[in-house]
Formats: sequence, structure tokens, C-alpha cells
Amino acid sequence: MALSQLLFRGAVVSLVILLAGCSTYTPPVSVPTPVAKQPEPKVVTPPVKMPQAPPRPTTPSADAALQPLLAKAGQAAQRGDYEQALALLERAQRIGPDSAQVYLGMAQTHRARGDAAQARATAERGLLYCTTDAQCNALRAFTR
Amino acid sequence: MFRTSHLLFKLALAALVVVGLFMVYLDARITATFSDKMWELSAKVYARPLELFAGAALTPGDLAYELEVLGYRTVTTPRQPGEVSRNQNRVDLYARGFDFPDEREPQRRVLVEFSGARVKAVSAGGTGIDLMRLDPVQVGGIYPRQGGEDRLLVRLADVPEVFRRGLMAVEDRSFDQHWGFSIGGIARAAFSNLRSGQVVSGGSTITQQLVKNYYLTSERTLVRKLTEVLMAVLLELHYEKDQILESYINEVYLGQDGPRAVHGFALAAQHYFDKPLEQLDLHQQALLIGMIKGPSLYNPERNPQRALERRNVILEVMADQGVIAPEQAAAARAMPLGLNNRGRIRDSFPAFLELVRRQLSRDYREEDLTTRGLSIFTSFDPLLQRQLESSTAAVMEQLDRSGKLQTASVVTRFDTGEVAALVGGRKARYAGFNRALDARRPAGSLLKPAIYLAALERPGQFSLATVLSDTPLTIKAAGAKPWQPQNFDRKSHGDVLLYQALAQSYNLASARLGMQLGVDAVVDMLARLGVEEGVPRLPALLLGAGEYSPVDMATMYQTIAAGGFRMPLRSIRDIVDVNGEPLKRYPLEYERTVGLQAVHLLHFALRAVVHEGTGHGVYNYLPQDFAVAGKTGTTNDGRDSWFAGFSGDLLAVSWIGRDDNGVTGLTGGSGALKVWAHFMSRASKQPLAYRMPDDIQTQWIDDRSGYLTGEGCPNSRILPFITGSEPRQRTDCAPRDSGSGVKDWFESLFGRNG
Repeated sequence: MALSQLLFRGAVVSLVILLAGCSTYTPPVSVPTPVAKQPEPKVVTPPVKMPQAPPRPTTPSADAALQPLLAKAGQAAQRGDYEQALALLERAQRIGPDSAQVYLGMAQTHRARGDAAQARATAERGLLYCTTDAQCNALRAFTR
Repeated sequence: MFRTSHLLFKLALAALVVVGLFMVYLDARITATFSDKMWELSAKVYARPLELFAGAALTPGDLAYELEVLGYRTVTTPRQPGEVSRNQNRVDLYARGFDFPDEREPQRRVLVEFSGARVKAVSAGGTGIDLMRLDPVQVGGIYPRQGGEDRLLVRLADVPEVFRRGLMAVEDRSFDQHWGFSIGGIARAAFSNLRSGQVVSGGSTITQQLVKNYYLTSERTLVRKLTEVLMAVLLELHYEKDQILESYINEVYLGQDGPRAVHGFALAAQHYFDKPLEQLDLHQQALLIGMIKGPSLYNPERNPQRALERRNVILEVMADQGVIAPEQAAAARAMPLGLNNRGRIRDSFPAFLELVRRQLSRDYREEDLTTRGLSIFTSFDPLLQRQLESSTAAVMEQLDRSGKLQTASVVTRFDTGEVAALVGGRKARYAGFNRALDARRPAGSLLKPAIYLAALERPGQFSLATVLSDTPLTIKAAGAKPWQPQNFDRKSHGDVLLYQALAQSYNLASARLGMQLGVDAVVDMLARLGVEEGVPRLPALLLGAGEYSPVDMATMYQTIAAGGFRMPLRSIRDIVDVNGEPLKRYPLEYERTVGLQAVHLLHFALRAVVHEGTGHGVYNYLPQDFAVAGKTGTTNDGRDSWFAGFSGDLLAVSWIGRDDNGVTGLTGGSGALKVWAHFMSRASKQPLAYRMPDDIQTQWIDDRSGYLTGEGCPNSRILPFITGSEPRQRTDCAPRDSGSGVKDWFESLFGRNG
């Protein structure tokens, strides 16, 4: 039980960091070294259907501001301090309200603390904002 | 002889016993209350802190206003916390730092550079900062309703040494030696008063003053004076000098701020100078010390000249006593009073504070809020509030010079459900009837989306292209007289597509649709959207009957804007106790209550409202390509004018009406819409994005018949459908190249090429 919980927390953190790495903007500061490694979640789903949808309005990215918060949230979740992790993620959400990465972090944290319903609802909402297959698939995995 | 002396002895003994008992009583009173004296500390209510990072949507003017409200002083070069210098697109500021519930934001000097309406870079000493936040504006406090004492606690260790020694030099020079009262002190006071030709200090020790403030009334009798001395001695017996001095520093009365009494030097420093006590300059310290003697007589706001003279006397005493050097005193004497220069921001947002108070009252007793020194961190956004107030004033002035019309608005960030700004009446800065919370009005067509959503949730039966009949109908309900709804233009429009009926707000088609679905289905949908109170289970509900506040409508549209996720409107983020320990967090919680696809289709219809329906007036304010969605609402004879809608970042609901429920002569489109659009055009930073969920696809539709048709065919337009709900029938028109190349607003969302 304890071991599986630990492994799961490790997975949560690595996923957050992994996705942080996916972002197009590379933050000037060094991202903390991942604690554990996990391959991209393998979820087989039809590709998101966004026919002819143009690129979204180009708002300058808040990515550089988000990354330190996401990293801290990952660390808090790993410590088991889910309240702190969620507080940090909510702050991140206010800064980048259309960041799928933030929704994913929230969904992961909700699941880690045992709230599957909230994890699912958050991931569903996040699906509105995902831009890459990896992001969308990771979110979709929570909605099943 | 023997008898008399015996009697005298008895009397003396009795007197001694009485005095002894009195002292026991006083002693008990002191020990019972002093050591665990509960300071009454009001709750402090903070706005959201402004987040600074490269890419933030913020103008130099916004930042300047935030800093002004925070009381930052404009200087040439910022050298200490709370100073700022601004130069075109560069703002150089010395941030004060703040202990937030999660972590400490350090004091530091930072440079914020702008490019247009965005922050380009934030840096400190040439190194980039990813993210920082300013100290939050304190927008108010929660004081006892009848007014009362307020203070900020300060520990003796945090009181500057000079201040402490200055205080003793003026109020009680032998404090460190005496036993509670001081004959020498009285003599010295008399002498120094004589020498300076004015009353510099009274003869009471600090201990006596504390006893007086703490336990006694202000009457001047001998018995009271003796009691004071006795209690002072007892206090000294029981407690350390440091404890007594610390209590004094937190207890002393230093003026009035409206109904609340300013107690303690820490609150006085905030109140008069907008600074923590630790950061006061020498001349400011001297002013506060000088005010003890007569908080209203030497009030620097009301009697600046007298206060200045008093301050200079204090500086002189401090120099005489060797607390400061004569040169320091001379330099400080040359300073102006140095009062804060901000417009009074605190407690000028009564409507929002009332919302906070209501939310708090669910979890806290009134007494805890006014006495426990809680810090309440809210989502209040001073920048959005400023815009909402100025948009309200501008539009109301234009609509109604007589001042008979009232108005209220609510602004939320729908991604998080946080209320950011609130106007409860035309005079936004005055407390009074809070219409945003307490108005109970019918909502007119603002409720219609609930009918259409209930329909669109049944893709087997309804789609945006379903043909509805906008023709007269009579609804008979048991025990009520037959109801014959009318259209606003008193005409019927025959067959119309479902999305058109909502866009044009046709009453007949909407009532027919609602009756087909059943009133219960609409009541159920309203509940899922978050509106559960004041909803009558009657056919008239379909056209907006009931009692709703602007906040109720914001809750409903919040769920719609968020894509069918209901979340409670939140105004509070965190509550922290007097020691900085987190007490409670109000977390974000999503609850999926309506299907994403149905809400997506409703979004299309609400976009149609502003592009081609009753809400088209918003584009008199907004640029054509700035996508928003919304709905107008008008009640009988224009008694209520509503508009609710959202962009990519903000949701707002506005209402205009009269307190006496009189006729306004306005529709939703000619009244509340203007407040809404005026505000949105200036406050919203992001248009509504188009995000197509799974299981939605688009089809070319004949706009008259609702049949499938080909691209480029007559009356063709493109509509979204839940997969499988597309119309079955098809026109006989084959797709062709549309020669004109004119795209409608929806088509252009897809960026199609002709």
C-alpha cells in the first residue's frame, strides 16, 4: 500500500515535470531534475477532432511563470501535501487559465488524494484546453 | 478613653480589612484578565495580489493604479520598500514583500518593463524574475457593526529601539526603575512642563496609563486615582516590564477612523503612514509618540499645524534625553508630516465586502470575525472594480440623468468561479442596499438558455437547426387563468430555427419549446446551472418569472461559460489566523452538471445573440473580431433590463431597474447591455476562443428550412451538431464554390479560405 502510494506520487511528479518539458517555451531557469521516470502514458484514443480549426488567438505564453509553480506543486504532491499542491495549482490556473498542463496537474493531484470524481471533472474541463495529443490523451485517461 | 481608642482601633482594623479585600479583588481582576487578555482584532480583508510576470496582460497605467492604491510613494530612485519611480514603459519599484498563506514574498527592488498592454520583462538587479506578486491591497476590515476598537498586534522585539526609548523619554522616564508610580516622574513632568511653558507630559507612568485604559473609566476622582495607583503597583508585582510595555504599545488609543477606534502604534502606523511600525522614519515615529497626549487634538489629518508643532517638541525631548543626536532631530524637524497620500481605498467597496461577509458567515461566527485578527484573502480585483465603477457611471449618466434608475453588476473569472468585482448600486462607494446580492427581480429572457439547454441535451429530438413554431399559444394551468404570452414586437414569426429563436429572443417559440419539454425539465436545468431559489414551478417561468439577484444570474451563466461545470461563486481564497497559520482554504471544485456538447451548442446560439440577435449592440463597443457570447433580458414594460455574457476571460451580469419597480423604458439591449459592453470592451483581455469538444461536427444548413444543404447554396450557413443529430432532410442544391467569399462570423472562426 505504502509502496504503491509512493510510486504513484513519484509518477505524478514525473508526469508534471515531463509535461512541463513539452511546453514550447524553455524557461531560463533550470527545471529540477525528475525524481522518477515514467514513459508517456500509452492511451489509445482517436485523435482529437478539430477540423479546420485555426491556431488559437496568439496570447503571449505565461509558461515561464507557470513552470516554477508546477514544479513546486509536484514537490508538494510528492510530500503528500495535496492541499499545498492544489493551492499552487490554483495560483497557476489564475496566471494561465487556459493551460491544459495546469488542469492535468490538478487532476493528478485530486486522484492522488483519492478524489476520483474531482479528478475526472477537472480533466474533462482541461480537455477544452489541450493542444497536443500527449496532453489530450493524458487528460482523457482520467475521464474513463 | 480606652473605649474611644478601642473604637478607633476597631475602625482602623475594619478599614484595613476593607482595603485588603479591595486589593485582593483588584489583584484577582488583574491576574484573571491581564495575562490572557484577548485583544479584539478585526479581520483584515485583502484583494487578490497582483501577479507580475513576462506576458501578463497589464498596462503601465494599471500597475500605476495598483501601486497608488497600495500607497507606494513616487520618488526619483526607489531606495526603500514602498517606493516607485515610473518612466514611460518602465516601472522601477521597491516591493514591500508580504507573508502570503503559502509563502513569503520578499522585499526587493524590481524593474517591470512593458510592451503595449503586456508586461515584457520583470527583473531584479538585471536577473529575470519568472513570477512575483505585489503585496495585496487591504480593501477593508470586518469590524463590529457598532464600531469598536481595532489594532494590529506588534511584538516588543519588533518595535524599533529609537521608538521605544523615545516613548519612554516622553511618557515615563523612570519606567525601568519605578514600581508602578513615580513621585520623581510627577515632579519631573511638572518641571519640564514649567520649563517648556506647555504641558509636555502628564505625571502618570506608562503602567498607570495602561491600567487606566484597561480597567478604569475616565472619570477624575480621588478614589479612581488611588485605585489606579494600587492596580499599577499590583501589575508591576505580577508582570515583567517588557510585558507591560508591550501591552501599552498595543493598547494606546491614537485616533478614530470612521466608526473604528485606532488602537496601538502598529495600526496607527498603517493608518497614518501606510507603513509597518518597523519602517517608520524618525519624524513619523515622533508624531505618533506625540499623539498619545491628545489623539484628536494632535490629529495630523485634522490639525496638521498643531500636530507638526507637537512632533517637533517630541523630537526636541528625544534629543535632550540623548535618544537621538541633535542633528537627527534637526533633520527630522525639517520633514513634512509624511502622511500617506492615497485616496482612502479602505472600506470603499462595501458591496464586495458584504459578499465576503455573507460567505464568511456560513463558516464563522460574527464575533470571531471581529475579534480574532483573521486575514482574509479574497479574489477582489481593484483594477476590474475601477473599470466596472467607471463603466457603470458613464453609461448610467448617459441613460438617466435624473438618477431614478438603479443598477448592479457582478464580474467573475469563470475559469475559477471567482468574483472579481461587484457594484451594488449607482453610488458604488456607499454602503446601502446591495442590489447585486439582494435585489429580487424577474429575469425575463435571461432564463431562456435553460430551456434551450434542456432541449439541446436531447440530441435525438433537438438540434440548433430544429424548426420551432413562433405562433400564438394559450397555456391553461389548473386554478390559474389562461396565459397568452406575447413577443416583444407583438408579432409572430412563423417557423424559425431553434438557434434563431434564442438569438432573437422569441417568446412564443420559447414558451412552446418549454411546454414541450415540461416546466419541470426547465426547473431541473436551472438547478443544475446553480439557480435553486426563487424559481416558481409555473409556465411563466419560461419567460423569466421568479425572483433573482444579479449574483444568481452570474451563478447560472458561470456554469454555462465554464462549459457545463457548476462551481460555487467564490470570493474568498484563504483565511489565515492571527499567527499566520492557514485556517481554511476555499478550494476550486468542478461539478459536471450539464453535458459539454449541449453547452457547446448553446455557446453557438449565445454568440448568435450578439452577432445577429438582440445583443448585437455589444459591437458598438467591442471590435467586430472580439468574440463574446451573451443574452439580453427584459421584463414586462421594461421594468428590468438585464444583460449576461462572457468573453474568453471574464463573465459579467448587469442589471438596470428601479427600486420602486417602476417602468424604465429600457430593454436589455438598450440598457444593461451598454454597461456590460462598455465594461467588457475596456476590461476583457481575451476574446472567447472556439474549442470544439469531441462528438461535435459542423454541417451546411439551409437557414430557412433547417435542411442539410451544400456549401455556397442559397441561405446556406454552417452550424455545429452533436454527431448523429444532424437534420435528415436535404435540399436539392449541390455544393458549389461560393463566389462571394463572404464568411459569416461563425465560418470565419474556422479560418476557411472562401
